[in-house]
Amino acid sequence: MSAVPLWVARPAGASAAGWLRTVDHKEIGVLYIGMGVALFALGGIESLVMRAQLATPNARLVDPELYDQLFTVHGVTMMLLAVVPLLVGFANYLVPLMIGAPDVAYPRLNALSFWLSLVGAIVVYFSWIAGGAPDAGWFSYPPLAERAFAPGPGVDYYILGLAVNGAGTIIGAINLAVTILLMRAPGLRISRLPLFVWMTLVTSFLILGAYPALSGGLVMLFVDRQLGGHFFDPTAGGQPLLWQHVFWFFGHPEVYILVLPAMGMVSEVIPVFSGKPIFGYRFVAASSVAIGFLSFSVWAHHMFAVGLNEFETLLFSVTSMLIAIPTGVKIFNWTATMIGGRIRLLTPMLFAIGFIAMFVIGGLTGVSLAVVPLDLQTTDTYYVVGHLHYVLFGGTMLGVFAGAYYWFPKMTGRLLSERLGRWHFWTAFVGLNLTFLPMHWLGVQGMARRMWTYAADTGWGPWNFVETAGAFVLAVSMAIFALNVVRSLRGGAIAGDDPWDAFTLEWTTTSPPPPENFRTLPAVTSRRPLWDRKHPEMRDAS
Amino acid sequence: MRPPAEAIGTLALIVGAIAVAIFIGVEGALVYAVWRYRASRVAMPARFDRNTRLELAWTAAPALTLAVVFVLMLGTLRDIGAATDAQLRIRATGHQWWWEFDYSGIVTANEMHIPIDTAIDIELASVDVNHSFWVPELGGKTDMIPGQINHLRLLTRRPGVYLGQCAEFCGVEHAWMRIRVVAETKEDFDRWLATQGSPATASGDGARVFQSNTCVNCHAIRGTSARGEAGPDLTHVGGRATIAAGVLPSDAASIRAWLVDPQRYKPGAFMPRVPLSDADLDALASYLGSLR
Repeated sequence: MSAVPLWVARPAGASAAGWLRTVDHKEIGVLYIGMGVALFALGGIESLVMRAQLATPNARLVDPELYDQLFTVHGVTMMLLAVVPLLVGFANYLVPLMIGAPDVAYPRLNALSFWLSLVGAIVVYFSWIAGGAPDAGWFSYPPLAERAFAPGPGVDYYILGLAVNGAGTIIGAINLAVTILLMRAPGLRISRLPLFVWMTLVTSFLILGAYPALSGGLVMLFVDRQLGGHFFDPTAGGQPLLWQHVFWFFGHPEVYILVLPAMGMVSEVIPVFSGKPIFGYRFVAASSVAIGFLSFSVWAHHMFAVGLNEFETLLFSVTSMLIAIPTGVKIFNWTATMIGGRIRLLTPMLFAIGFIAMFVIGGLTGVSLAVVPLDLQTTDTYYVVGHLHYVLFGGTMLGVFAGAYYWFPKMTGRLLSERLGRWHFWTAFVGLNLTFLPMHWLGVQGMARRMWTYAADTGWGPWNFVETAGAFVLAVSMAIFALNVVRSLRGGAIAGDDPWDAFTLEWTTTSPPPPENFRTLPAVTSRRPLWDRKHPEMRDAS
Repeated sequence: MRPPAEAIGTLALIVGAIAVAIFIGVEGALVYAVWRYRASRVAMPARFDRNTRLELAWTAAPALTLAVVFVLMLGTLRDIGAATDAQLRIRATGHQWWWEFDYSGIVTANEMHIPIDTAIDIELASVDVNHSFWVPELGGKTDMIPGQINHLRLLTRRPGVYLGQCAEFCGVEHAWMRIRVVAETKEDFDRWLATQGSPATASGDGARVFQSNTCVNCHAIRGTSARGEAGPDLTHVGGRATIAAGVLPSDAASIRAWLVDPQRYKPGAFMPRVPLSDADLDALASYLGSLR
C-alpha cells in the first residue's frame, strides 16, 4: 500500500466518522458514486439477459413475464437509480472543491439525501424477492399499471421506491443549488463559475421542477392501485393520458438531468486537454439555461401518437426542434475550443471527443423525433431505443468516463492506467455502435420496443445478433474499466495535486483533499485561477 | 392526397439528407481538429476564446435549417392523421393480445383486408390497456387508448400483404400481437367482405364439439349460438393466413397444435387449454380450418 490516503486526506490522528455516519461531501460523493456503479452493474446485467434473449428469433431463454420485469427494472435503474447517483456523486465531491468551499451548504441534509436515494433503490430491487419486480415499463402507463392489469406488488414497489429515491434527489438538488449560489470563494463570480458547476446548477433547478411532477404522478397511481381511486381508470371517468402528461413533464427534463452534468464534465476536460480556454463561455453557459427552460416545454413529443389535436402537435413539434439549437451551440463551441489548441489525446480527452462524436448522432435522431410524421413511424420502436442510448450511453456515459478518468486522481491521489484506459475507450466505442446503431433500422423495419421475442419471418435475426454481440463487447469494456480502477486503487502511480496541468480550483489542493478542502485559496480574478497562478505573466483577463 | 407512407417516406429522405450533411460536417470538423491540432504538431496553443459573430451565426444556422424542416413537415401533416377524404371506415379495437376489425357490423380479427386506391379512416379503440396500431409500410402509428377514439388515415396504391405489430407495450404478449393487412383490388375486397358477412356452417362433429365446450364463452361464430366477445371472432378463421395474432399458420394441423397447448406458443395468452379427447381435437381443428 502506498502512503497516499484514498478519498480524503485526514491529518494524522484525526478520526473519521465512518461511511455510515459521514457528513463530509467528499465521502458522500464517493458513496453516491459507489451506489451508482453498483446499480449501473445491475442494470447492465439486466440488459445482457435481454440481449441474450433477443439474439435469435423465437428464443426461450426467459419467459415474457421475466423479460417485462427485466426491461422495466433496467429502465428504472438506468434512468433514476444508477446514473443520477453517479452524476450527483461527482457533483457532491467536486462542486465545493471547484468553487473553493469547505463543504456543501447543508452537510447533514446531504447525508439524508444520499441515504434516501439508496433506500429508494433498495425498495425497487427488493421487489425481485418480494413477489415480482415491476413489469409495466419504466414509464408504467396506466391502465396497464393499474391493479386490474398489474395485480402483483411490482408496480407498488416501483411507486414507493421512486418516491423515496426522488425525495432524496430533490433534497440533494436544493443542497447543491444553495451551495453554488451562496458558498463561492471570494472573486468567483457567477460569470467565472467552472462550466461543470454551471451545468450542475441548471440540473439542480431541473430536478426541482421535474421530480415533484413524478412524485405527484406516483401518488395518484398509488391512490388508484391501493385506495380505489380512478385518476387513470377510463372505466370510472379517469383519464389514462393524464399520467402520460404528468410523467413526461418529469421524463423529458430527466433526460437533460442525465446529460447536462456530463456536458459539464466534457466542458472541463476539453479546454484543459486542448491547452486553451473554453470557446464562447457565455454561449455554453447560456445555452444550458436555454436547454433548462425549453426542456419543460417539450414533453408531449413523447405523445404524438396518442391523438393530440393539431395545435398541440405543432406546438410541441416547434419546441422540440428549438431545443436542438442550444444543443448544437455547445457542440460547435467544444469543437472551436479544440481548434487552435494543443490537443493531448489522453484517456479523459478520448472519452470527451467520443462524447461529442456519439452525442451528435443522438442529437440528430432526436430532431427526427420532433418531426411529427417521422416520429409517428419511429416512436415506440427500436429506433427510439437506439436514439436514447446514443444520448445516454454514447453521450452521458462517455462523458462520465471522461470525468472519471479526469477526476479519479483528485479523489484518490492515484492515476488510472492510460493503456487500460485506451482499451476501455475503444472497446466501449466499438461496442456501443455495434449495439445501438442497428436498432435504428430495425425500428424502421417494424421492430417495436419491449418485444420479448420476434418471429423468424421478420428477418430481424441477424442484426439482433450483431447487437447482442455488441452488448457483450460493452460488458468486456466495463470489466476493463473495473480492472483499471481496482489496480489503480491498489497501487496506481501517485498523481500529485495537478496531474493534467488544469485550470480550476480543485487542482490547487492536495489529491485527495483534506477534510475542509483547502489550506489556502488562490485569489480568483478570472475563470482559470490555477492557470493564472501558474502563468502570472499571461493571466486571463477578468 | 398522397398515401401516408409515401408522404412520410419523401419527408424522411429530405430530413435524412439534411441530417447526413450535418453529420458529415460536424464529425469532419471534429476529426480535422483532433488530427490538425494534436500535441505533436503544435508547440504553443492559441489563446482565442470568443467570436460573437461566429457564435450568432452558428446559433442562427440551425434555427434556419429547422424552420425549413418545419415547413416541409407542414406539407406532410394533412396526408396523415385523420382522413378527411375517407371512402371507407373500419373500427379497429385492441385487445390483450389481438385485434378486432369491424366493417360496419361485419367483424373479423387479426387480418384486415383493405381495397387499394381508397382512402380509409381507421377508428382506433381499446377495451383494456393502451395499444398502438402500426403497419410500417402503410404509414405511421396511432395509439389505441381506452375511453377515447383515435383516427388514422390509410391509403395504398399497391396490392399485397403488409405486416404490422402492436407498438405500445400492452402486457406479456405484446410481442405476439401482429397485424396482417391484405390490400387488394376493389373487386377482390368486395368479394372478401361479402364472404365475411355470410354466416358459418354449424353442422358436423367439430361444430358440436365447439358448441358443447367452453369455446363459446369467449368466441363468436356467426350463424351459430356462439356469441362470446372476449376472444377473436372465428366465423371465417380458416380463411385467414394465421391464428393467434400471427403465432401460427391457420391450417388444421397448426390449429390442432394450438388447441392442445396454447401456452406453448403464446405464453401468457388468455386462451386456456381445454381438455378434449383426440377425436374431438381432430374434429374441432378440421372444423375451424374449414371456416373460410
